[in-house]
Amino acid sequence: MKRPGLVKAVLIVLFLIFLIQGGLRLYRHRHFDVPVVTGPGVTRVAHLSDFGPGLKGTMADTLVYFLDGTEPGGKAILMSNTHANEPEGLLAALLMLENAVVEKGSLIIIPQFNNSAGRNTRPGDGYPLYFEIPTDWGLKTFRMGNRDASPLDQWPDPDVYIHYPDRQLLSYIDARNVNRTWPGRPGGPLMEKVTFAAMEIMRREKVDVAVDIHGAETMFPVTNCIVAPEKSNRIATMASLTVKAKEGFDSHVEPSPAGFRGLSHREIGDFSDTLPFLLEAPIPFLDQPTGPKTVKFLLDGKDPFLLSLAQKKKLFVAYDASGWPLEKRVGQHCSVTLEIIRQYSKKNPDRSILVRDIPRYAEIVQNGVGHYFHDPSRAERDRIYPN
Amino acid sequence: MPTQIGIILGIMVLAYALAKARRLTVEISMFLAALVGGLAGIIFRTPPAGELIRHLVEGSATYLDVILVFSTATIFMAIVNESGGVNYVVRATIRAFHNKRLAALIVLMIIVLIPGALTGAGSISLLVVGAPVAMALKLLGISPKRAAAILFIIAGLSAAAPPVNIWAMILCAGTAIPYVGFELPLAVPVLICGVFTMLVLGWRKERSIDLATALQEMPKVPARMTWWRVLLPFLVFFGSVAAYRLFPFQTPILGLPLQFTMSALVAWLVSPHKIKILSLSRDTVKRLLPLISTVVIVGMLQQIMTATGVRGLLSYAVISIPLVFLLVSLAIIIPVSEGVLTYGAAAVLGIPLIWYLDSIGFHATVAIAGLTLLWPLGDGLPPTALIGRLSVMVSEYKGSYWEFLRTTWLPWLFITIVGILMVVYSAKLSFLVRWSM
Repeated sequence: MKRPGLVKAVLIVLFLIFLIQGGLRLYRHRHFDVPVVTGPGVTRVAHLSDFGPGLKGTMADTLVYFLDGTEPGGKAILMSNTHANEPEGLLAALLMLENAVVEKGSLIIIPQFNNSAGRNTRPGDGYPLYFEIPTDWGLKTFRMGNRDASPLDQWPDPDVYIHYPDRQLLSYIDARNVNRTWPGRPGGPLMEKVTFAAMEIMRREKVDVAVDIHGAETMFPVTNCIVAPEKSNRIATMASLTVKAKEGFDSHVEPSPAGFRGLSHREIGDFSDTLPFLLEAPIPFLDQPTGPKTVKFLLDGKDPFLLSLAQKKKLFVAYDASGWPLEKRVGQHCSVTLEIIRQYSKKNPDRSILVRDIPRYAEIVQNGVGHYFHDPSRAERDRIYPN
Repeated sequence: MPTQIGIILGIMVLAYALAKARRLTVEISMFLAALVGGLAGIIFRTPPAGELIRHLVEGSATYLDVILVFSTATIFMAIVNESGGVNYVVRATIRAFHNKRLAALIVLMIIVLIPGALTGAGSISLLVVGAPVAMALKLLGISPKRAAAILFIIAGLSAAAPPVNIWAMILCAGTAIPYVGFELPLAVPVLICGVFTMLVLGWRKERSIDLATALQEMPKVPARMTWWRVLLPFLVFFGSVAAYRLFPFQTPILGLPLQFTMSALVAWLVSPHKIKILSLSRDTVKRLLPLISTVVIVGMLQQIMTATGVRGLLSYAVISIPLVFLLVSLAIIIPVSEGVLTYGAAAVLGIPLIWYLDSIGFHATVAIAGLTLLWPLGDGLPPTALIGRLSVMVSEYKGSYWEFLRTTWLPWLFITIVGILMVVYSAKLSFLVRWSM
């Protein structure tokens, strides 16, 4: 090399270009807000930090929407984006938030349950930063997040994560996975503060039913199902049978393993009177043996490798050339959630919850998810919240 | 789509081969493979043109934590070494065990196993105790090449040993299998393979050395050096690790980088002579730069491979192999995947593999334990070769890397057979899980 100084200068300039161009995109992604138009059912909006003061001023603080009915009754809480790379949960929750009207009892919705993860990316996994949903008024843009909270918000990781209070050893990564930190504690790491605040909502508000909405790989045995502990099993089974019979899709019941700690479907039931349910819909995008991780694949769930593996009977769900589109995943979540609430209400008439105007599976598959989102540019300002 | 991904993979391999042919370093060759792969991907909009630089920048942060741990741990050991602590320990070990060879080998093996078992990282074993153990092995008449080989295998086993096995934890997290019942399925094979390795590589004396000569050959120790000056920094490190294990809800999470930094500061303060900490740290980081750049670029490569579909294609190829051939080929697939992706391999190949094996009746916990014996072997393989390179570094072996790697063949083969047999007979070995609980 004849002019090492020049080479070094060129390399430094290239490095700076990379850093600024790439870094700015990541910075904008972290600070990008999705405008949500709250529907007629939303009666008040609180912060999660109102229930867990350790969250105030942190990136883990998030909005909690209350939809109170005119008649007293039971209460259900709905959480999505626990894992922010499983967006069908978020879309189902936002769809309910923008449309649901509660006639009896209350519905509490936390759409960005792990707000930090929703503003994080997944280094090494090549995800897109955003995805867009076609609506009746144009494209609506959402952030693609990560399974775990950002290290910018909770760091350092321990060398091994020790679950509170059970002391079970979990992977160090799980310290930032909010579905391993239940039931949480007020003075613990940030994600434990998040779950503690949610437990406080359930305890203070006397919540009857908790639904945590997820997506799972097609190669994962626990997919396309309702995960429920013993105390929720009967309602889960009835909901599963009903959607199969009435709406024609499968969502079987999986028992919550007693020996696996930190998960919502285990700890909420063990540490409160609330009945927990965790919903899983298949999301092919998360599978490992797939083609490129594109927005199109995220939305339509079509992949030639998965199709080939399905023919070799290596998947845990039925899979054909039509893939597993977003409409089906969101539709399943809406129908199963409504069915769980209905079954609970049937069994507990004094604590029943009556909700209307939430579309069910067939309608969402037919109309598309975007059809149910409202145009923020035409909405009243006080009904728009950044998420 | 498979053709499109195949073309991108071909272009990446070609770019790497051409760069190597032009005698560029492994790191630059890998970077070029990632960059060219990304550019080829743009043709098919996987990734879109505007996203390529973001992918490279984002991918570079994949192993940021690993880099911080490496850097702080190496600075810590450099200070202990500079203070004369390493030589002090080795002198004592040689005095106590010079005529009890089997005991000496077993004690040295356990010394290497402990840090890795506690932290789940073989690199920590090497960085914390690698240098003194290497010197002790040499003074037992073992050549630097064999000493490096012993360190590589035992450090790898330490990462697999309970209680903390990061591959198993990643697999458990991804497959929703509780990380419980792993104690015996991991401890038993680790101890068997460890003793086998020590005997195969360490039993034969390659040169005869009496105690007086051995002590004379060693560098002098500062006159004011004492046991407490050596032990105090290690007590701070292991004390902070143990404190979190014993009182997890009362102890703040410090993180390994801070734990090593605290220990380094203590080592500096109790050193019997003055150490120029800044210049020593600068020199140490300079020495680590090739390793750090490898880890940064592996992250970029991994990100581009996923964004273009190459990673998925490779994962698909593994899952599609017929069962018997798959089990046999684990001997190659698992170590090679570790060499390319390090811990990422557990997620990319391990998770679908365990789901598949579990669904056809294999016992998931024992199968995971078996696989995690094979992954550490890949830490000696390029392009990353993290543990292999550290082993060579701390043992001060100056010869060919491949010669060093070839020395490990018999323990490598033994561990491979044990690991695969554990997977194949996982159902029959499930009593180990029951006995652990």
